[in-house]
Amino acid sequence: MSSNLAILPILLPLVAAVLVAFFPKKLKAVRLVSQIWMIVQTVIIAFITWYVLDNGTIVLESGDWVAPYGIVIVADSLSIILALTTNIVALACVFAASRSIPDRQEKFYFYTFFFLLISGVSGAFLTGDLFNLFVFFEVLLMASYALITLGGDKVQLRESLKYVLINVFSSVLFVTTVAFLYSVVGTVNMAQIAERVAESEQTGVLTAIGILLFFIFGTKAALFPLYYWLPKPYIVPNPVISALFGALLTKVGIYCIIRVFSLIFVHETEITHQLFVWIAALTLLFGAIGALSTQNIKLIIAYNVIPSIGFILMGVSAYNSTGFSGSIYYLVNDMLLKAILFLLVGAIAYLAGTSDLRKIRGMIHHYPFLGWMLLIATLALAGIPPFGGFIGKLVLLQGTFEAGEVILALIGLGVSLLMLLSVLRIFVRGFWGEKDSSIQADKKTARAFSYPIAFLLVFIIFLGIGAEWVFPDFISIGEYLMDPSIYIDSVLKE
Amino acid sequence: MEIIMTVLAGILFTAGVYNLLQKQLLRIIVGATLISHGAHLFILTMGELKRGAPPVLQDGIENYSDPLPQALILTSIVISFGITSLLLVLAYRASKENGTDNMEKLRGNENE
Amino acid sequence: MLFTVFLPVLLAILIPFISKYKEKIHTGWFVMIAPLAVFIYYVRFIGVNFEPTIGQYNWIPSLNINFDFYLDGLSLLFVLLISGIGTLVTLYSIFYLHTSERLDQFYVYLLIFMTAMLGVVLSDNLFVLYSFWELTSISSFLLIGYWNSRERSRYGAQKSMMITVFGGLSMLGGFILLYLITGTTSIQAILGMTDIILQSEYFYLILALILLGAFTKSAQFPFHIWLPDAMEAPTPVSAYLHSATMVKAGIFLVARFTPIFSADEWFFLLVSGIGIVTLIWASYMAVRQTDLKGILAFSTISQLGMIMAMLGFGTEVAIFAAVFHILNHATFKGSLFMIAGIVDHETGTRDIRKLGGLVTLMPISATLAFFGTFSMAGFPLPFLNGFYSKELFFEATLELDRFTSSAAQFLAAAIPYLAVFGSIFTFIYSMYLVFGTFTGKKNLDQLPKKPHEAPIGMLLSPIILILGVILIGLVPNLVNAPLLAHVAEAVYGAPIEMDIYFWHGLVPAFYMSLIVVGVGFVLFYFKKYWVAIYQYLPGKLSLHKVYDFLMDQSEKFSAKVTKSYMSGSLRHYMLYILGAIVLITFPILLMTDGININFSNTSEITTHEVIIGAVIAIAAIATIFTHNKIATILTLGVVGYGLALLFILYRAPDLALTQLVVETISMALFLLCFYHLPNLRKRTEGVFSRSINLVISIGFGALITIIGLSAHSTKLFDKISDYFVETSYSLGGGTNIVNVILVDMRGIDTLFEVVVLGLAALGIFGLIKLRSKKGAE
Repeated sequence: MSSNLAILPILLPLVAAVLVAFFPKKLKAVRLVSQIWMIVQTVIIAFITWYVLDNGTIVLESGDWVAPYGIVIVADSLSIILALTTNIVALACVFAASRSIPDRQEKFYFYTFFFLLISGVSGAFLTGDLFNLFVFFEVLLMASYALITLGGDKVQLRESLKYVLINVFSSVLFVTTVAFLYSVVGTVNMAQIAERVAESEQTGVLTAIGILLFFIFGTKAALFPLYYWLPKPYIVPNPVISALFGALLTKVGIYCIIRVFSLIFVHETEITHQLFVWIAALTLLFGAIGALSTQNIKLIIAYNVIPSIGFILMGVSAYNSTGFSGSIYYLVNDMLLKAILFLLVGAIAYLAGTSDLRKIRGMIHHYPFLGWMLLIATLALAGIPPFGGFIGKLVLLQGTFEAGEVILALIGLGVSLLMLLSVLRIFVRGFWGEKDSSIQADKKTARAFSYPIAFLLVFIIFLGIGAEWVFPDFISIGEYLMDPSIYIDSVLKE
Repeated sequence: MEIIMTVLAGILFTAGVYNLLQKQLLRIIVGATLISHGAHLFILTMGELKRGAPPVLQDGIENYSDPLPQALILTSIVISFGITSLLLVLAYRASKENGTDNMEKLRGNENE
Repeated sequence: MLFTVFLPVLLAILIPFISKYKEKIHTGWFVMIAPLAVFIYYVRFIGVNFEPTIGQYNWIPSLNINFDFYLDGLSLLFVLLISGIGTLVTLYSIFYLHTSERLDQFYVYLLIFMTAMLGVVLSDNLFVLYSFWELTSISSFLLIGYWNSRERSRYGAQKSMMITVFGGLSMLGGFILLYLITGTTSIQAILGMTDIILQSEYFYLILALILLGAFTKSAQFPFHIWLPDAMEAPTPVSAYLHSATMVKAGIFLVARFTPIFSADEWFFLLVSGIGIVTLIWASYMAVRQTDLKGILAFSTISQLGMIMAMLGFGTEVAIFAAVFHILNHATFKGSLFMIAGIVDHETGTRDIRKLGGLVTLMPISATLAFFGTFSMAGFPLPFLNGFYSKELFFEATLELDRFTSSAAQFLAAAIPYLAVFGSIFTFIYSMYLVFGTFTGKKNLDQLPKKPHEAPIGMLLSPIILILGVILIGLVPNLVNAPLLAHVAEAVYGAPIEMDIYFWHGLVPAFYMSLIVVGVGFVLFYFKKYWVAIYQYLPGKLSLHKVYDFLMDQSEKFSAKVTKSYMSGSLRHYMLYILGAIVLITFPILLMTDGININFSNTSEITTHEVIIGAVIAIAAIATIFTHNKIATILTLGVVGYGLALLFILYRAPDLALTQLVVETISMALFLLCFYHLPNLRKRTEGVFSRSINLVISIGFGALITIIGLSAHSTKLFDKISDYFVETSYSLGGGTNIVNVILVDMRGIDTLFEVVVLGLAALGIFGLIKLRSKKGAE
């Protein structure tokens, strides 16, 4: 019966979404239900994670249709850890939401969208079927469309339009590519695709199809040169929604790249993974340059999403187990960290009444706690020890050096400095300095943001200082990703 | 026939992309719709055409058309429909709020 | 050892509580416990028979990152400096910082720094060393920014952070490479694998990266520019971090890796070359400063350059002199900083142009300053420790004869002259510092405060340090065999026996000292006649400007680059994305022989299908040319309905039905939404952008078509749908296979497809109903 556990991360939020959709106007009840539900759900998924790490991959063949014919849900160590991280982020966000989001917007099914976003993201992590992945993509994108337009502000509508259009395009391209792949290998089950691609030694058009998939996922992941849609749409909605987006959406894209290019298209690495080296380098550089280019604190953080993705791709391009385990560690850390940073700048912009850094100063006199959390988050972002970002970056740099990509690794080091500079400015200019006495300290709002941020920050610190508790699992994930046959065998049971 | 249909789907993509690169919202959305039509045609073609009866089991018939692409297209059509509707309403609202349906005027480079 | 390293940070946790009572008792008294305890713990290791000890504690064993502490002579010297000077600085700060200041923050940062610095010098693990290294940068950043209401403080803090973290990250790169080559994170183990490292293809990269770390931290030319700006920190911090300890971390690092690197002559060229340039440039610049702490900052840079140069020499004498000077510099420079702080505290200014004649008002401070500066100048007096190490330095410069490459030989030949030249300026600024402050005309009316001697508590720390200066000067053997010999051994790799005498006889080094003192005095006396030279060198040249330019450009250049492509235009974005896909995928398609088009596995071509296809194609293309919105929408409808027809022809009845229904509703929606929007205009863009659009769309269409055709022609495996046909009825219980697939085999797809629809409905509902107040007006 344990195989049914695999679908809970998808099903639980779906049930919650439907539940809260029934009485949208009873806001207090909805909030309470959502919060309690999130706590319970996170605990359950934590348990499943523990179970998977202990007992190995859980494969659910939905409707008892044996793989590869039905849709399989595959909770392996990688996907379940990411699903758990998703839920931790969501847990913090659901508590931040009640104060941050205006009641009117909350009543317009915010919680339904929220839960469906979680469901879609978890589904994308867990599914073992390429077409089903497309469906979950649509669920999470649709939820994100609804969330990003929530409020109906002029700027918001304008930016979300671009966001939706680019995503619609890449989704359509996605189904098309799935069809191409189906034509060549005759299946949509990822394990079987992997098996068959391996059998054919990735001949002929398969590599080109793989590259198309890379571009499709790369668009979602915000890689160079596909990330244009990202920065502005991420800063227009409410901070909590930005935090969810920053933490989850691009990460789904990069997860898919990791999955597809560790499981399926691994027979022409001279071409594919060499391409990733270049793309990673350019993503790192242009992302960091973007982060330095603006004085808008929200935009600074939004741009910082991009180089982080570059780092994760860097580990993939190394294509060795060290690189993978570093990437995954960095990925988990970055999901939490981006949520923190978006919540932080959201809080700062709200409390200062502007997101223009030139107009903010001396915030530390009013909000010391926010200031210190920002400093820690900044250091974690730059990969300064002893925070989680350091461990991930260290290992993935090791992997990159190991692969002989010295220049890429050096670029990574340089970009760390630029990322540090870009966010440190917020601390130095916005928090330090003369007290701005024109601001009335709004301790209540500050607190509403501080608790969820602090909650997430505990994990960032834990991932650094307590790395030994979790890192061995990531080493196994790295080795696991280098050996696709484990995944294939556990799904196809051969 | 598959070759012709593939080319046709390619033409739908080309025309769709060209429309997508225009300024006016309506054209852009028309472009997106054309591309999704193209995608559906691609899926169908990839499953091979006219290789048997419609995939409804009947006694005495051995060969059926590939049912899986059809199922996938069905799912995709419905999803595309949902997205197109949302996109239309969004486009309507966005152009009303911003007073223009010209995407080039919706660049928005303030607040940087 | 673990406990001693973390003791300060543990104490820091209590500081916020303790500091609540700061009005009753100054928080500093509690803080002092930590360095004092550490000092007492380690001072007992001093002795002739000292043996290195190890302490190992697990942290992240799966990454080979563990608290492996290694106490040898080198780390012992540094630990004693950190804890000893730390104690004195804390004592001094108790009188320097008034209780109205934010003492809790100050002391928390200071304690974090102590732990970090102890960690740096004790860690045997590369990555733990790196972690502590960055922690020193962070605590230094916070301490420089302590008075962050001042613009200069913020500037200095950020500058030091950027430059030292830059170095730190380079160093990390070097460490990772070392780890990959040797397979161990233990520095001691790595030192035993010199051969492997020297033969590695990455050797020079490692050397460069690690030296970058050391040079930035130890403020070597041209990275020294952060240190003068770090003087914005409270004076105890300058005395402690920016003179005695943290800036020596780079020296420590170079010393640590000397056994590996010194085998290569590039090590000499880089370390001694940069060191000697730093020595000369900084001592030359020090003479120009007007701020007491500014003089001391440049003086520190120059002295660090001297130590660095000696490490590069790599000879017995040089290494011994280097470690000796590390100790001596800490004593006299520490005390001089404290005296500068006292002068500032008592007179309200550190501007040497306003100061003068303070000797009568502050006799004790003046006396201490005389000892400190003369020791720094290397004045030949038997009770000044600075002279001994300076003399050894000169001696070492004359022994550089082991090099083979011509560049190294050239540098070796030049170094004695450069050393004398730099030391002359060292002499000048030392004199300038002490005489400018304490002798000459009194300008009491220019001073913000009426000066008088500092309280005894404040003087206590500099007195102790100056006593150290004198004691080491008089009895150098007190530290020689028990401490310095062990330090030198750790750096050199073999025991070094060295006798320190005041009088060596009329050796060349002594003549060099005499030249320095003689020329130095003359130049100091006639300073006003030649200071004009500073208008030409550096004149308007300034490395600070380079930093400022880089910082400024980091924003401006980035803004320029980013604005140039992040135009906000959907068309641009789509063009870039499509262009990238086409330009990258096409070559890969060719490289992998991906194109494979054959006509064998195809069904027959019938006329009515071709006609429908042609109609669809024409309608699709027509949408580009129509200018009427209704016409466009209807043309689009032709495509949609045409597709439904094709679905019928291709044996997909369910699809055809769905397509018909969906197409009809979509048409209605299109008409509804665009009824109120303006009609389509003629396309107004130029020929150029129109042809770009055309090229990109045809390119993309062609790419997709070719991949599609190749995919169609490359059917390598049986399809899984045969299974669906077989089991649809037996297992699925339905005859319509597509339906069985939808509701059973791929039920999850269908479930979530419904979810997407629901979401769309709710989203549309929200879009229509929930309008921002601004929009409603």
